[in-house]
This record gives sequence, C-alpha cells and structure tokens, in this order.
Amino acid sequence: MSAFKSTDSSTPATSEIIRLEQISKHYGQGELAVLALHQIDLLINQGEYCAIMGPSGSGKSTAMQILGCLDRPSGGRYYLQREAVDSLEDDNLAYIRNRKLGFVFQQFHLLSQLSALENVMLPMTYAGLPQKERQERAASALNQVGLGQRLTNRPNQLSGGQQQRVAIARAIVNQPILLLADEPTGALDSRTSQEIMNIFQGLNEGGMTIVMVTHDFETARLCQRIIWFQDGKIINNALTPEEFLEFSRGDSRIAPTAITF
Amino acid sequence: MAVYLTENASMAVRTLSANKLRSSLTMLGIIIGNASVIAMIAVGQGAQQFIGQQFESLGTNILFILPGVAAEGPLASSVPAQTLVLEDAEAIAREVPAVAGVAPEKSDRLRVTWADQDTQVDVTGTTPEYTSVRNAGVQRGRFFSALELQQHQRVAVLGSETARSLFGERHPLGAKIRLRNHSFRVIGVMAEKGSSMGMNQDEAIFIPISVMASQLTGEDNARTSPTLQSISVSAKSDASMSAAQFQINNLLRLRHDVKEENDFTVRSQQELLQTADSITGILVVLMAATSSISLLVGGIGIMNIMLVSVSERTQEIGLRKALGATHKDIQVQFTVEAVILALTGGSIGIVIAVAGTVLFAALTPLEAIVSPVAIVIAVGVSGAIGLGFGVIPARNAARLDPIIALRS
Repeated sequence: MSAFKSTDSSTPATSEIIRLEQISKHYGQGELAVLALHQIDLLINQGEYCAIMGPSGSGKSTAMQILGCLDRPSGGRYYLQREAVDSLEDDNLAYIRNRKLGFVFQQFHLLSQLSALENVMLPMTYAGLPQKERQERAASALNQVGLGQRLTNRPNQLSGGQQQRVAIARAIVNQPILLLADEPTGALDSRTSQEIMNIFQGLNEGGMTIVMVTHDFETARLCQRIIWFQDGKIINNALTPEEFLEFSRGDSRIAPTAITF
Repeated sequence: MAVYLTENASMAVRTLSANKLRSSLTMLGIIIGNASVIAMIAVGQGAQQFIGQQFESLGTNILFILPGVAAEGPLASSVPAQTLVLEDAEAIAREVPAVAGVAPEKSDRLRVTWADQDTQVDVTGTTPEYTSVRNAGVQRGRFFSALELQQHQRVAVLGSETARSLFGERHPLGAKIRLRNHSFRVIGVMAEKGSSMGMNQDEAIFIPISVMASQLTGEDNARTSPTLQSISVSAKSDASMSAAQFQINNLLRLRHDVKEENDFTVRSQQELLQTADSITGILVVLMAATSSISLLVGGIGIMNIMLVSVSERTQEIGLRKALGATHKDIQVQFTVEAVILALTGGSIGIVIAVAGTVLFAALTPLEAIVSPVAIVIAVGVSGAIGLGFGVIPARNAARLDPIIALRS
C-alpha cells in the first residue's frame, strides 16, 4: 500500500490536501434559487480518513461533487493540494479528476461490456499511458483488492462486493492524492460492506486520504473523523466516532444506528 | 493520436457488437444506399461501355445520312420521312471525293418463310458495297454482286440469327426462301455482329436494292427514284470524316433544293456515340442521385440511433467524465462509433453491390463494371456521413454534465 503514499508527505507544508474557504453553492436563479451550501470552510490533511454525514438535503452530496471537481462552487475558494481549482476550465477539471482524484460510487458504475481489467485500465487510457503499462498497473491494482484471479470477468459475472472492489481498483490505479467515495457500501449487504471497509482501511493505512459520504454509522465509525452537515452548513467538522455518538444523542434528527435510508 | 483512434475504434466495435440487432438495423440504410449507388454506377458504366463497343463494331469512319430532321439524336431519327432517295446515294458516290463507299439502305419488316418455318425479319435492300461500308463480313457463301443487283436477281444473304432460326443446323445455301410471295435464293450468311441500339443486327436479310424497290415495296416507278431509310457512307479515312460530312451536306442541299432547314441529317458515328453516351450518362447520374437519397436516409438513421444511444448511456458518459475524459474524448468516442457504423454499413453495401453486379452481368447481355473509383468514393461518402451525422449526437454526449449523468 505504500505505493499510494504521497512522495512529499514528509514536509508539513504539503500535507494539506483539501482547503475550502467560504464555499457556497446555489442552484437556479433569483427568487427560485436553492442554496445547497452556505459558506463552508474545511481543511483535510494528507492521510486523513473522513466521513461526511448528515440528513438528506444537508448539502453533503453537493459538497462531494465540489470536492470531486465534478461541479464548481458558486462562491468561495477551493484549494486542492494548495492549487485553486474552483474556477478551472472543464478540461482542466477533467485532468485533475483523472490524475489527482479517485471515485467510488454507490452503484459501482462499471462498464458492462468491458472486463474487470479493462474497467480498471480506463482512467489510464484518459491519462494517455501505453497499453502495456496500463495492463500491468490495472492487474496490480486488482491484485491489491483481492481480485487477481478475476481479471477477465465481466461485471455481470461478479458479485456486488467484487464489482465494488473493481471500482476501488479503478479509483486508485492512477495513484490519486484523494479517494472520494459516495455511499460505497450503500448497495451492499453488511458482510460485504465490511470487506469493502477493510479495503478502505488498508488504503488509508498506506497513506491514502479518503473522504466518504455515508448514511451508515457502521461504515463511518471506522473513520478517524466525522464531518456533520446540516442545512448546507458544516455543523461540526471534526468528531471522532465516539464524540459523534455523544453529539447525536442530543439531537432527535440524528439517530446514527437507525440511519439506514 | 493513431493509438488513441485505434483504441476508440476497438472500444466502439465492442460497444456496437454488444447490441448487434440495433447496430445492424442502424446500418441498413447505409448498406442499401451504398449498394444501390455502386450498383447503379456499375450498371450504367457497363451500359456505356457496351454501347461504345457496339459503335466500334460498326466502324469508326462511317457517316449516316437519315431522311428528315433528327434533332435529338438517334432515337428521333425513326420519324418517317421520305426525302432520301437512291439517286442521292448514287450522287454521293459519284461526286463526293472524300467518300470511299456508299451503301443505300431501304428496309422493311417482312415475313420470311422457308418450308414450315417463318419469322418476322428486317429485310434491307442495299448494294454490294454494304459489306465494306458497314464493316460486315460474310461467314458462309458470298454477298450479292453488282451484276445480280443490276439484273434484279432474287438472291438473299441472311443474318446469322435469321439463318439459325430458319434453318437450324441445316445448310441454308441454295435454299429458296419466300418474301411476299417472291422466291429468293439464299447465297450467303453474314458473320455475327451482335445487337446495337436495341436492334439485333443478326436478325436480317440483305437483298439487292433493285429487287427491294421493284418487287417487295412496289415502288417500281421509272420517274421517281426509290426512297431510302438511310445511306451509310464510309469516309476515305478518319481524317476525312468532317470533309465528307461537309461535302455531303452541300451536295444534298443542292440536290434537294433546300433553302432553309435541311430535310436530311448527316450524322457521324462519333456523334451518335456521344449522343448515346450523354443519354446513358444522364441516366447514370439520375439513378445515382436517386440511390443517394437512401444514403442520406441512412445517415439520418445513424444520427437517430446515436442520439438514442447517448441518452441511454448518460451514466457511462458521466462515469467516463468522472474518470478524467475530456469534452474531446467523449466527442471522439461517439463520433468514432458513428463513423464505424457508417463504414461497416458502407463496406457491406459494397460487397452486396459487387455481388449484385456480377449476378446482373451474368444474367443480362450488358456488362457491369464496378469501378474502384466508385468504391473509394462510396467508402469516403460513408465515412463522411458517419462524421456528419455523428457530430450532433457526439456533441450532445460531450456536453452532458457529469453530475446529472451519474445520478441514477
């Protein structure tokens, strides 16, 4: 897993991965505008393993899209590894998603006509790597998630957990600085979820910075840090799982173990 | 870039073959369009070449003099007019220096009988010079002589097809055939010439024009010269064609006392060939234009399916964008798919066209020539259609917002 350690993590100056300053996001215009995020600040450092939680409509998905450079904020600054990315052109954002970010989705989003290996090769195709290197790196990434024997299988020949592992391999194959996971266990049963969480745990121990959105406290409790969103704001941006349990006890809207939407 | 396109192409092939029925149906329009355009051009060019060969077989230094005004090419010359007479032919032979030979032709479609066989045939009264002027050979026996012509002898030379249909395997020379209750002695059989302008030149009987006029068409009138259907004239050489044409024109204007428009037409083989060429050329263009409409429809079909495909694959597009695909990557991906659809369809169309033309050539006397140029153009046009009609769907795909596209 050491392969995913940032090469310059030793210097404190570069340990900052995400810095949000006064980030706002609204949809629509004028009277009908909906405010999804309201001036949020957030700092996430190299090697952190964070869960973003919050009720539906709290803005956590919007935050995730902005963190993932899939969308631009309406206001504020977003620095990814100290580089301002909040107002980059589409193609520059595509470059950042390709080289610096890895995505894991609830629905896996594998391409059904491609084998596991080819699915994992996809981000490297857009990075323009030669075929041979792509194959080797994709095979090694699949090995890393325990699917070394299933390289040629199509997604429909794999279980849900295996598909999500292919998706994780795909997310890490370009050696991103940040892994973003949107409800990665949302479509899986609890045992399979555990396997996936173990993989995340392992990646994090290897130095990978991970931010995941989840509804499920069982998933979030493995993280070091829980960020609580509500009404488009960050109510609390650094709770340990224990503190989160304490914190949620006072609020009827937060019933962590029962949140299984 | 080449690697990039190859990879896109192989990806596109897999995507398209994952939905074989749809892909085939999408290609159908292009297949039909391409097949018909190429086949039409092949058949048209075959026809042109065929006509050219026919004219070659008639000889290249021949002028035809036709009665009346043939304003619009050989087809209009069938308008009956009686302005050309035997004396004109004699005058041309006598007075036009550029002319090597003159063959007057007076013909009629008559019933010919021998034993229990009978058939309708074009009977042409002419002179012995016919064989040299019209480049026609005698296969068996001989053509009639100047003496037989002079003596009004009832002798006949049969076209090869007529000889076959009347006599079969039997020997025709010396046999007596009947034309309008007159008995004719067969003295020769012409060599095979094939058909020209829809007329089978081998279904013919040649007799002395003196006999034709006096005994078959009942024009034995001492005061008027017999009327003719045409006069064939051979020039001394290819170079003297225009001189001959000019001199004949002047001579006949004088003889016919023409003040304004000619009451006859002098046409060279070349002109007839050009006229025929331009007619078939127009036909080819028309047919190709009609067929290319189906190419257009095929292109629209591709665009339609690509649009459907884009809206079905929003998740894939969103995912690819999330993984780092740029606007251009997606645009290229979908354009390549459209181009591959069009090119594959085009290639299948070419195969069908070639097979169809070979079959056509086998079943008809016409030749069909699949020209490499037509194939190259067809491939180019197919590719262009894919590009052209793939642009809008591909642009729609590239413009998709990855967030919306990923939302399931």
